[in-house]
Amino acid sequence: MKTKRRSQDMRRQERLWGLLFVAPISLQIVLFCVVPIGIAIVVAFTNWNVIKGTYDFIGIDNFVEFLTDKKFWVAAGNTVYMLIPIPFYLFFGILFALGSHRGTPGSTVFRVLFFLPYISSIVALVVMWRWLFNYQYGLVNQTLMAWFGIQGPDWLGDPAWIKATIVIMIVWKMIGIASIYILAALKNIPEVYYEAARLDGASSVRMFFRITLPMLSPAIFFLTIIGIIGSLQTFVEVQLFTSDGGRNYSAATITYYIWQKAFVSNDLGLAFATAFFFALVILGATLIQFRLSRRWVYEGE
Amino acid sequence: MARTNAGVRRTGTSVAFVLMFAGAVTMVLPFLWMLSTSLKQSNLVFGAPEWIPDPVDWANYAEVWDAAPLATGLLNSVIVTVVVVVLGVFSSTMAAFAFAKLDFPHKRTIFVVLLSTIMIPLVVMILPQFLVFAQIGWTDTLLPLIVSGLLLTNATMIFFLRQYMFGIATELLEAAKLDGAGYLRIYWSIFLPLCKPAIAANVIIVFMTTWNDYLGPLIFTSSPDKSTVQLVIASLNAYHAEQTDYPLIMAASIIAVLPVVILFIAAQKYFVDSFAFSGIKG
Repeated sequence: MKTKRRSQDMRRQERLWGLLFVAPISLQIVLFCVVPIGIAIVVAFTNWNVIKGTYDFIGIDNFVEFLTDKKFWVAAGNTVYMLIPIPFYLFFGILFALGSHRGTPGSTVFRVLFFLPYISSIVALVVMWRWLFNYQYGLVNQTLMAWFGIQGPDWLGDPAWIKATIVIMIVWKMIGIASIYILAALKNIPEVYYEAARLDGASSVRMFFRITLPMLSPAIFFLTIIGIIGSLQTFVEVQLFTSDGGRNYSAATITYYIWQKAFVSNDLGLAFATAFFFALVILGATLIQFRLSRRWVYEGE
Repeated sequence: MARTNAGVRRTGTSVAFVLMFAGAVTMVLPFLWMLSTSLKQSNLVFGAPEWIPDPVDWANYAEVWDAAPLATGLLNSVIVTVVVVVLGVFSSTMAAFAFAKLDFPHKRTIFVVLLSTIMIPLVVMILPQFLVFAQIGWTDTLLPLIVSGLLLTNATMIFFLRQYMFGIATELLEAAKLDGAGYLRIYWSIFLPLCKPAIAANVIIVFMTTWNDYLGPLIFTSSPDKSTVQLVIASLNAYHAEQTDYPLIMAASIIAVLPVVILFIAAQKYFVDSFAFSGIKG
């Protein structure tokens, strides 16, 4: 009887402390996540002006407005364009992870160097790239001229090249982190698989496509998911590389469009409506990825 | 036969080395050019590319403090980063401990809500937050940076720490309970010390994310004395790139990048491990 009460008492203690331990983070999430998003959904149906602080409910007008805005569709196209870096940094990530895995001399030092772009602030990186890709005095164009006698493109000013410049920079920034994830996955492949394949006389190429690549598929999937979510939200590069989204809005992304509506035009209602729509698109894209993943991601035996 | 195999392997290693070397050079070259430019006199940056400046001019590193509120920016960044790291370590280890080892009402629901915050696009989260911060009068203070910085990092940290704590034997907890230790003590004197490597890894990631954040400061603050170092660099870029004073901007950027690079090199092992950990096992 006494022990029963004691164990009941201990269970109550556990429940109490469990709730207390998760209280700070739960409070944060409710106050600064759930509440704001609730407000945002309401504001999306108003014409809230930040400066004046006035608003009326206007139904779905905001949704109609951005969906019929030509600039929005230019931004949507550019946002899709920002998916281009993903296969490139996956490819180089796999390449360098394989190089590092086979114990190439110097790989520890190389690994640190590969990480430098990823850990550096995006602001500093963009500032640096603007200087590297300066049309007239940048290192890139000067080198092209000195070595090959070619006048390099106007990387930052030309509507076609500005997107390419951003893509190249993202690839360069992400290779390090991609190769680390792939390397971790490589280390988890049991050596016995290769031994068995070698006994069967399989070539290295065959082993790569039959063992290594399938075993890497969960890591590749993970990188693709976070890559897509990240790419679709490209913002800082656009904001810092261009003024006003680039000539003819050539570099502006949806996130940039949302930011501009909220803080340059002060039209919060429209910004929130766009953001709400955009969140649903990202959610949809992620769900489709998970659905498709069943076809190619190896899930263990 | 054996000889050709060894030969093939040697060739493979050489190819891999050349490849890795070329890759590493591509990663580092822009930084070296940034360093080189920061040591040039401003009128000398527009000639043919010169890797070793002549003369080497350290003056930019002194001048940049007067050209922009860099000291204020660094101080604000340090305040925000330190507070986020300290509070983040406590709130996330406490939550991770509860999720991994304790049983309490609505545990699953709370955990799922927490994880789903990772999936919400940052801009979708940060705009409504701006509205809330504006309503409670927090805009243009450092508080929103701290709160949203915590939110940005907490969910992933909890997930990662929870995985780590699963690996710690529950018998330890049971034994401590029999000895009469309360849950707070078990958390503080058993689990916290045992999680040191995982915590170290997280501190680095949180430090990096918070220190490098640009979107948060851009949206939540407006006056120069609330700027973080990233905003200061961005404003220098907007202003001095017009004036084409590139050495000055490069010097400031190097100052902004340096703390993270130093931390990264010092704690490289934890850092790489943590990424390997937090990713899924292949």
